[in-house]
Amino acid sequence: MIRFTYAAIATIVIGFIVLPLVLIVWMSFFSNPILSFPPEGYTLDWYRRAWSMSDFRGGFFTSLQISLCATVLALVLGIPASMALVRGSFPGRDTITTLLMAPMLVPAIVGGSALFVFYLEVELLSGVQVAGRLAGLIIAHGLIALPWVVKLVTTALTGMNQSVEEAAASLGAPARVVFLRITVPMIWPGVVAGGLFAFVNSFIDLEKSLFLVGPGRTTLQIALINYLEWNFDPTIGAVATAQITFVTLLLLVTSRYVKLHRAF
Amino acid sequence: MPSSPPPAARLRGSGPVLPAVLFVLAGMIAPLALMLRTSFDRFDPETLIVSALTLDNYLRFFETPFFREVLGRTIAISALSTAICLILGLPVAYYLARFPTGAAKSRLLMLILVPLLIGNAVRTSAWMLILNDHGVLAAGLARLGISGPLGLMYSASGVMIALVSVLLPFMIITLNSVFEGIETTLEEAAGSLGASHLTTMRRVVLPLTLPGVLAGCVLCFTLSMNAYATPVLIGGPKFHMMAPTVYQQITEAMNWPFGSALAFVLMGMTLGLTVGLTLAVQRRYRRWMA
Repeated sequence: MIRFTYAAIATIVIGFIVLPLVLIVWMSFFSNPILSFPPEGYTLDWYRRAWSMSDFRGGFFTSLQISLCATVLALVLGIPASMALVRGSFPGRDTITTLLMAPMLVPAIVGGSALFVFYLEVELLSGVQVAGRLAGLIIAHGLIALPWVVKLVTTALTGMNQSVEEAAASLGAPARVVFLRITVPMIWPGVVAGGLFAFVNSFIDLEKSLFLVGPGRTTLQIALINYLEWNFDPTIGAVATAQITFVTLLLLVTSRYVKLHRAF
Repeated sequence: MPSSPPPAARLRGSGPVLPAVLFVLAGMIAPLALMLRTSFDRFDPETLIVSALTLDNYLRFFETPFFREVLGRTIAISALSTAICLILGLPVAYYLARFPTGAAKSRLLMLILVPLLIGNAVRTSAWMLILNDHGVLAAGLARLGISGPLGLMYSASGVMIALVSVLLPFMIITLNSVFEGIETTLEEAAGSLGASHLTTMRRVVLPLTLPGVLAGCVLCFTLSMNAYATPVLIGGPKFHMMAPTVYQQITEAMNWPFGSALAFVLMGMTLGLTVGLTLAVQRRYRRWMA
């Protein structure tokens, strides 16, 4: 009886979370000219239309580009930092860890507006335009991505058995070989998961990008919001479905490397 | 010789953190510091910013009924949706934690985790097609013989419904990890001593989850205070919450000093209320907090 009650509540609540997404996928195939219910028929036209719209197609590729660059940036900065934080011995490691995780804690809308004002003031002083440029967005997204890399890579390093490295070193392997042949393979799941979480969180970001997009350079999330302001047709459903599929695939890949819910 | 290590040894291995630290300092701390400074400047429609050291922007915020209302509404909606998330999230997180490990459990967790990472824009647009007057809910109710406009779009209740749905996964995942850490033997012991399930939950399990409950509430409350997509898309242009107002002041009104002050009021309120809640709970339930 108790089990049944819990199962019933869980079904309703999970339905409340998942059902909207199921519905939007379903409705992306409706032939209704505006998003409404019930369906008048079914069509794939909305997918064709979404793909033909430069806002959505361009937004997708811009997002892809930004998130890839941000992920690479976060990995390049985050992996050495994590190594030093776990292995090094220097004062203030806790403070530095908190600092590197802080971009996750500062609300995106505050962080984004602060960067926007910062970019514009830099531009006033130096004449270098950053806001509305790809570089500006990549920096902002690098900040979204970095904490995920640091979090998952430090976890992997902490959980790793260091005596394997010592064994390799005592058998005469030089430091570089130990790093490449022992350390990297052992923390690889953490690196891949960190990179994938970084990528996904950057890809779906709306609030931080809001301030930093420029004319002709919009991320997919911003394109969606802008479109919704004036339109309400199943094109939205097609874009949403594409994003749901994309994120789900990435998460399925990630789940092969780490237990997803442990990442939070 | 004193044995204090030379500076180079004390900083052994700190070099690799420097690029990341500089990146966060330049990309986050410096902009926040500049924004704090800007919030004390004065706005001028011609030159945008006039350097000053004044509290006018903050005073204007708290003296204008409109902005006070926006803040009040944001706090009320955030507190309420956090409370609903907690009530709905607790049984689900517990159910998931006690679910036998295996493929079925992984799939259930995926159902929570995938929506969490789908993004606010998509999740909110999905709610638009449920809540609007020609949407799924209206069609469903019409079939049951209940018709007429729902009035959920552009309303506080609509915003709340969508917000709770968007935030629930965060609450469930946070609570779940705490429940996972509690040994089932404790519940069995309480049960074998004659406690009913509800008593066991109230007296044994919940006290142990209190830190997780707090963490989940802080997370949901923070996300809700700073929510942008839901109030804009579901609430519409006449429904004002803090995050869209910050956006509007900074990018449309180009009033950076006032917009900066708004952002700091928002961050200060979020931080103040969550720290306040944490302290209050810790004091009230000291014996429960390990």
